[in-house]
Amino acid sequence: MAGNSEGPLLPEDKGASKEEVKAKKPLARTFHCTNCGASVTLRCPGATLSVVCDSCHSIIDATDPNYRVLVKYYKATASYTPLLDLGLRGELKGRTWEVIGFMVRSDCVSRYHWEEYLLFNPYYGYRWLTQDKGHWNFVTPIKQKPQSGSSNNCYLDGKQFKLYNRGDAQVDYVVGEFYWRVMINSRVLMTDYIDPPRMLSSEKDDTEINWSLSEYITPAEIHAAFKPTKKLPYPVGVSATYPPKYKKTDDRIKLLFVLFWGIITCAQIYCAGTSLNDVAAQYNGTFVPNTKKADTTIPVFELKKDLANVFINVHANVSNSWFWIGGELVNDDTGVSYPIDTSVEYYYGTDSDGAWSEGGTTATAKIAQVPKGKYYINFDYESGDFKQLGGPTLQDFGVVVTRDVPTYDNYVWTFLGLLLGPLLSFAIMRKTEVARWENSDFSPYATSSYSSSYD
Amino acid sequence: MQTISCPSCGANVNFVSKASIFAVCSYCKSSLVRQNMNLEVVGKISELRDDLTPIQIGTSGMFDGKKFEVIGRMRIGWADGYWNEWYSLYDGSKESWLVEAQGFLALCFPYDETPMPTKGVVSPGRNVHFGKHGYFQVEDMREVECIYSEGELPVNGPQGRISVSVDLTEEGGSDMATIEYADNETRVFVGKYKDFDEFQFKNLREIDGWKL
Repeated sequence: MAGNSEGPLLPEDKGASKEEVKAKKPLARTFHCTNCGASVTLRCPGATLSVVCDSCHSIIDATDPNYRVLVKYYKATASYTPLLDLGLRGELKGRTWEVIGFMVRSDCVSRYHWEEYLLFNPYYGYRWLTQDKGHWNFVTPIKQKPQSGSSNNCYLDGKQFKLYNRGDAQVDYVVGEFYWRVMINSRVLMTDYIDPPRMLSSEKDDTEINWSLSEYITPAEIHAAFKPTKKLPYPVGVSATYPPKYKKTDDRIKLLFVLFWGIITCAQIYCAGTSLNDVAAQYNGTFVPNTKKADTTIPVFELKKDLANVFINVHANVSNSWFWIGGELVNDDTGVSYPIDTSVEYYYGTDSDGAWSEGGTTATAKIAQVPKGKYYINFDYESGDFKQLGGPTLQDFGVVVTRDVPTYDNYVWTFLGLLLGPLLSFAIMRKTEVARWENSDFSPYATSSYSSSYD
Repeated sequence: MQTISCPSCGANVNFVSKASIFAVCSYCKSSLVRQNMNLEVVGKISELRDDLTPIQIGTSGMFDGKKFEVIGRMRIGWADGYWNEWYSLYDGSKESWLVEAQGFLALCFPYDETPMPTKGVVSPGRNVHFGKHGYFQVEDMREVECIYSEGELPVNGPQGRISVSVDLTEEGGSDMATIEYADNETRVFVGKYKDFDEFQFKNLREIDGWKL
């Protein structure tokens, strides 16, 4: 930045386009303050009604040939330094604007204050920049009257804006020039309605009501436009108009969720519809309760379709007893084996709560992704039956080997996994919204009377 | 166009509109009232010290697909400010006014389809019915004075002409209306606010230091 802190920047300093370099600033005029004699710059003679002397802060009638002093105002309260110097020019929203006025305003009750910069372009009129906790808004005065809706809302071009803030605001500090007769301590009733990143505001006094439409603008955009010499404060918290960026992300996440859900559902339907569900081998045998037996073999059988699952279903007529099978599924060609371990248990009875039962007469050992080929099964089995300790009775059991059984587990787990995305996104979104409405007396998230305790 | 010599300085005074009854000589600033082919000097307009506006006599623009051309102006002042009313010919001959205030621009046309309330009953907040245009709400009501005029005008607009000006806007829209209560006439206009770019202005006045 060239050392040009005094007065307006020359166009050459802005690294601006050639047209702007040609543009000089002969519009401005200076005169001596009729109160203190200091030099006062009038940047927009003919458009400006009142101008504030930088030195003694008297408010001067800019239209009066003798520059009559409207209000003698000495530094009574705190002094504020604008972040954007008066006279700075910058391009915002495709148009050039000059900073011509600076005000500090505050809420009459809470004393909460913020900054406002008046921008001027002789063709396009006036705009404002507001700065509050490092957050900026670009404000356009509008003549269009928003329509008031039910309860606390209002509408502009069919878009709903929600009541965010209402209260008396007053002017604490002014420098520069204004298109009305600016007054210190003058009060207006301010009402803000938000539809982030936009805000509709009305300012009402005894004689008129003025509406404006604000839009969030980043400090980076302000910096790029005006190249201020002062460092712009870092934005703190979630301001009223802070862009709901997560909303886009949330919409995208929801869309992706539906998309993937659709894909896995289609895949599931396809897999279930095309699975073989083919009985590859069966074995029926008998066992003696309370004994064990080793090395039973189900002779070689063929498993078709590569890398499909194998379900080994065991059935035994157990009754308040158990039957266990352990062994392995072995590839006859390669010797690769897959362990099998499952037991059938069935217990029942009655107690003070009535009849109860637990388990069943079948159990399934599941093996995923078994290559196709020739296989055999070796297994041991064992049983326990404490009712029949007296004497051995033969009982039947059966083993059924089924290839490529349709399953739903993967589908359900994937679905639940996918669901995490939208849930997390909703949580983040809600957190941001709660933070946004923390400074409002009208928060839809407020749970109790604590909501109006911001003062 | 009719050209008559200024009775004060002899310069040519042009009348583009047949409806114009008042003009200011661009050379000697005499304010002139026209009666048929005769001009009568009624006063002198003092120069504007500061005049920051991109509009000038000869500026043309577009509104609802038709062209208008600025041929005269009244600058209106009130206790806390002022604005410009640019007399324009819309679509060749129709009376229209380009109102320029605090960066807002509206083009409006004379309206006489429904009777207007009398001055005494108008107050801010009150709704006024404008026939097919619907209801307009009174925004403000101000005692105003013509502080400068130039070009030709369809009203007798000498400096010091005093009237009461009422601004109205349509709820939910950007239609506007104004009622002007003068001593012996009530003038009513209905129009619309538009953005500067929408008017597609041509022949604007150059403003030092500012490029459009």
